[in-house]
Amino acid sequence: MIITLLFILLTLLIYYASKRLYRWSPKVYLTPLLVTPVVIVLLLLVTHVPFHSYNLGGKWLTAMLQPATIAFAVPLYKYFDVLKKHAIEILTSVFIGALMGMLSSALIAKWLHLDVSLMDSMIPRSITTPIAMNVSSLIGGIPTVTAIVVIMTGILGSIIGPLIIRLFHIDNDLARGVLFGTGAHGAGTSKAFELSSISGTISSVSMILAALFTLCLAPLLF
Amino acid sequence: MKSIVKGILQIAFFILVSFVMNVITDFFHLKIPGSILGIILIFILLKTKVIKLNWVETGANWLLAELLLFFIPSAVGIIQYKDLLYKNGIQVVIVVILSTGLVMTCAGLVAVQLAKRKERKKAL
Repeated sequence: MIITLLFILLTLLIYYASKRLYRWSPKVYLTPLLVTPVVIVLLLLVTHVPFHSYNLGGKWLTAMLQPATIAFAVPLYKYFDVLKKHAIEILTSVFIGALMGMLSSALIAKWLHLDVSLMDSMIPRSITTPIAMNVSSLIGGIPTVTAIVVIMTGILGSIIGPLIIRLFHIDNDLARGVLFGTGAHGAGTSKAFELSSISGTISSVSMILAALFTLCLAPLLF
Repeated sequence: MKSIVKGILQIAFFILVSFVMNVITDFFHLKIPGSILGIILIFILLKTKVIKLNWVETGANWLLAELLLFFIPSAVGIIQYKDLLYKNGIQVVIVVILSTGLVMTCAGLVAVQLAKRKERKKAL
């Protein structure tokens, strides 16, 4: 009980500190999603605390991901008119992105000679964890490995996304939302909300659509 | 003070919905996760005015603002897979970086082009 609370508090403390750091110096690599886990991992390694002890507290925070995902219904409702107006652009670009995610993960994994089960585990890595794990088991991957690659995608995607936006001068709210939601699920969506509420909402829709497209397409393709 | 209580109650509401949705997906063995069903349910309830926006808005804003916090323990959990990371870590990271870059570029640029085309059509 005390350990549980202690690790929840520790996570909160480091998270809010890294949020302040990010506000003070908003560099892409200082995102709290990278800084917080790195600090916690180092602390666990130094103090020899095993992950399962940490996760006694951590799992409660992970559990909050579900109600937080449901909360996306609220911006979806608020900006429904914008979404309806741009339905075709969103559907088309998310579809192409989701297809690209599966194909490129498989091809690059093959090119790097990763074994088949690892390749299959990486195919659904762009989408939200529960559906990604589901897809993974449908096509012969290992769901827990998929979960790790999904979180890696979230962390790296929050760093890569802003770089791509800068590189290609993507200044359109719609395109920015689609880019984050399709490429880096919930973590990307949280980044998109940093840019604007419209981008964030479009990102949440894109995240859901990408997951549904992947769920339908992956068993046909792999 | 009143708004803090309101926010906490609204978050409790989202937790309740999430719990009920999980029970439903388990019971019917659905392939769609409870959280996606929950989004659809709350959206329909808002659309049909069964619940009012201000009954859930504060709580939803809080949850969404702290979304990253809820990813942190899973990110820390990567240390459980040291063997996988030692053996294939570099390759896995390369796949994630290249493929994510491709997905974002494609999705983003297609969206830009489609939005531009629509603008042009409107101008004619």
